[in-house]
Amino acid sequence: MDAIQIRNLVKYYGTIRAVDGLSLRVAAGTMFGFLGPNGSGKSTTIGCLTGLLDPTAGEIEILGKRFDADSAGLKRRMGVMPETLGLFEPLRAHEFLAFVGRMYGLDESAVRKRVTELLDALELTDASKTLSEYSTGMRKRVAFAAAVIHSPEVLFLDEPFESIDPAGVALMKQWLHTFIEQGRTVFMTSHVLETVERLCQEVAIIATPGKLVWQGDITTFGREGAIVYDGKEFDALEPLFLHLTGERHVELKWL
Amino acid sequence: MDFHLIAQLIRLRYKLLWAKTRTRNGKIALFMAGYLLLVPAIFLFAAVGAGGGMAAVRSGKAERIAQGVLTGLFACATIISVVLGFGLNEVFSDAELRRYPLNARERLFARHFTGIADPFWFLFLALDLGLAFGLYLLGLGNLLLGTVAVLLLFVCNYFAARLVGLALDRIMRKKAGSVLLPIVFMLFCFLPGMAMPMLKKHPAASGVVLRILGFTPSFGAGSLMVRTDAQAFYGFALIVCWLLGLAAAVAALERRPPKATARTVQAKEIRWDSRFHQAGARFGSQYGPLVEHWLRFYFRCRRFKLSYLMSLPLMPFLLLFWSRQMGRGANPFAAAVGVFAVSGLAPAGAFVINQYGYVGSGFRRFFLFPIDPAATLRASSYTLMGLSSVYVVLAALAWALFAPVPYDVRGMTMLVASGVFGLFAFHGAGLWTTLYGPRRSDPNRTMGNDLSLAGNLLMMGGMFSLLFVPMMVGQIDKRIFSPEHWWVAVILAALAACFYFASLRRATAILPARRERILAVVEGRA
Repeated sequence: MDAIQIRNLVKYYGTIRAVDGLSLRVAAGTMFGFLGPNGSGKSTTIGCLTGLLDPTAGEIEILGKRFDADSAGLKRRMGVMPETLGLFEPLRAHEFLAFVGRMYGLDESAVRKRVTELLDALELTDASKTLSEYSTGMRKRVAFAAAVIHSPEVLFLDEPFESIDPAGVALMKQWLHTFIEQGRTVFMTSHVLETVERLCQEVAIIATPGKLVWQGDITTFGREGAIVYDGKEFDALEPLFLHLTGERHVELKWL
Repeated sequence: MDFHLIAQLIRLRYKLLWAKTRTRNGKIALFMAGYLLLVPAIFLFAAVGAGGGMAAVRSGKAERIAQGVLTGLFACATIISVVLGFGLNEVFSDAELRRYPLNARERLFARHFTGIADPFWFLFLALDLGLAFGLYLLGLGNLLLGTVAVLLLFVCNYFAARLVGLALDRIMRKKAGSVLLPIVFMLFCFLPGMAMPMLKKHPAASGVVLRILGFTPSFGAGSLMVRTDAQAFYGFALIVCWLLGLAAAVAALERRPPKATARTVQAKEIRWDSRFHQAGARFGSQYGPLVEHWLRFYFRCRRFKLSYLMSLPLMPFLLLFWSRQMGRGANPFAAAVGVFAVSGLAPAGAFVINQYGYVGSGFRRFFLFPIDPAATLRASSYTLMGLSSVYVVLAALAWALFAPVPYDVRGMTMLVASGVFGLFAFHGAGLWTTLYGPRRSDPNRTMGNDLSLAGNLLMMGGMFSLLFVPMMVGQIDKRIFSPEHWWVAVILAALAACFYFASLRRATAILPARRERILAVVEGRA
């Protein structure tokens, strides 16, 4: 079964076209990498997939059901870590996570148990600090905890690993692997291609404005050593990505 | 000194101001400020100043009147800039300027040059210059000396406002600051009003006050404008001394930023049963977590706490003081009706008209949760309504205990109904500005004005119309605000309640369609 299915997704901001007829299928139980250069429409696509933005045209199905901004039942089964993190700065980490847990319908004892365990695991146990006093990496950990607190079936992560220290990243990866082993799905964007190559089974690459240029199984790199595209062999994700999105060589004489 | 780079920074400051006009709100603000207000205002101010100068000469007390006018302008410019943030908002902080190749002295100059080159200060400069010109036209003083006096006073005024702003910032950083500041504010606002009757009773005391005022920069500037003798030189020396003193005080405060209070870094235990949780639990499973969240959020915002606490002494004081002041010859009850109507507006006004502006990117959470996003607006509005209504109750208590007129149940009903009217009308209109005039705002900024144009119009318009309309009507016909007409206030309150609930119903239906726009504004992308 497909966990996510997008058909001809189009999104305009006024007259600016951010996503142009994007179609994708993400199989359940997959760690899926959604890649593209800056401004190519990755966050806009995630916005549409999570109900934050209204698509101008196109259809979205999540877990086999048609999804729109009012699909509360489906939202309960989804976890989201937005690019801007979506934190309430004057709150403390446990207060924020408890609020998120309650909004997803967890009962009070589950909220308290899960918040305590998450904060302990992510080393965020100082209850005296507000979120505005946290470092960028710590804030990201809180946003990640908020995305998983209700054990979602589909997880959307927008740039999840940037600014987090190696120990934190390792822990998050470990949790994501467990997540996938249980048949759940992760849809993530990242600019760190090495991480995507190690973590994901499948990848979609889009180019400006939100147009799909390639989708495929990247476990081939490990199995066969290279992916053949346009008659060329690519032994890693980075050269393939640069080839697809347009590598540029500019020399500045004064630099 | 790299004046070229400093000039570039001043240019950049105006470019940034211009860039703000690219938004729709900015365009309206520019149109209002630039075409309708600023240019005519500068001319008007200059003309008013000139007229004041001429009137001063004709009255035969030119020097005293010029000094009085300059003192009033000095105080107004200082208060407005500190309270509303005009001309004081740091365009470039010292930390930001460090990225440019400027040394410490150049950074200091760059900051103050860009600060003083704010359009706000030009209005007051126009008034001061107009006064000097008016005096000169009728043959008093020397235009050159008058212009020098105005320019020196202008710079003095800027430094005085900055000094007050820095001092307030220091006070607010202290734990007792949020209690101390409202008291200082109240004293500052009401001291002149309380002192005037006393001075009238004791003319000897007014001589002492005038002697003290003789040492202020505006009195020095007044002398320099009008006189050409030794007194003019004294006035000049006085302003220069003030200027140097204020500049040195500002430099000293800026050089020694307030030390962060040492906080014992100790991992606190998580407390689950907070008073916010207990309060939220009363609202059921759907609204409970949201009400708890909003209560906690508001009471963690320094701006909210200050505004809410400042209203605590302000409302009863305003009620009693104003009723008595305006009651002479007029109807004290009419003044009380106005104050009651404002009591539901003052404590949380900025938050009522911009409910999502303070949450930043947290706003997007409301659309990710498996709930109707409209519930967040409803919960926020109910929370603010509940918190504001406390002040109607407090005003009623203050009136029952200290009213300057005999207690009357019908009168009390009329006053409370007036408070309820203000509460519902303002909170209902606030829903519309929340949707159509949002503005990204800093929840911890305690001073300054960061509302949108629509928000400002509602806030200022609401305050003034609720306070002054009853008084004006009361002046025309005293019988209108008599307790016999209590039922009119009750009907108005009922109509306001209908307006509020109709607005809430409509606004919550519109919210999903407005979410992308609000999101762009509160995340700083529009």
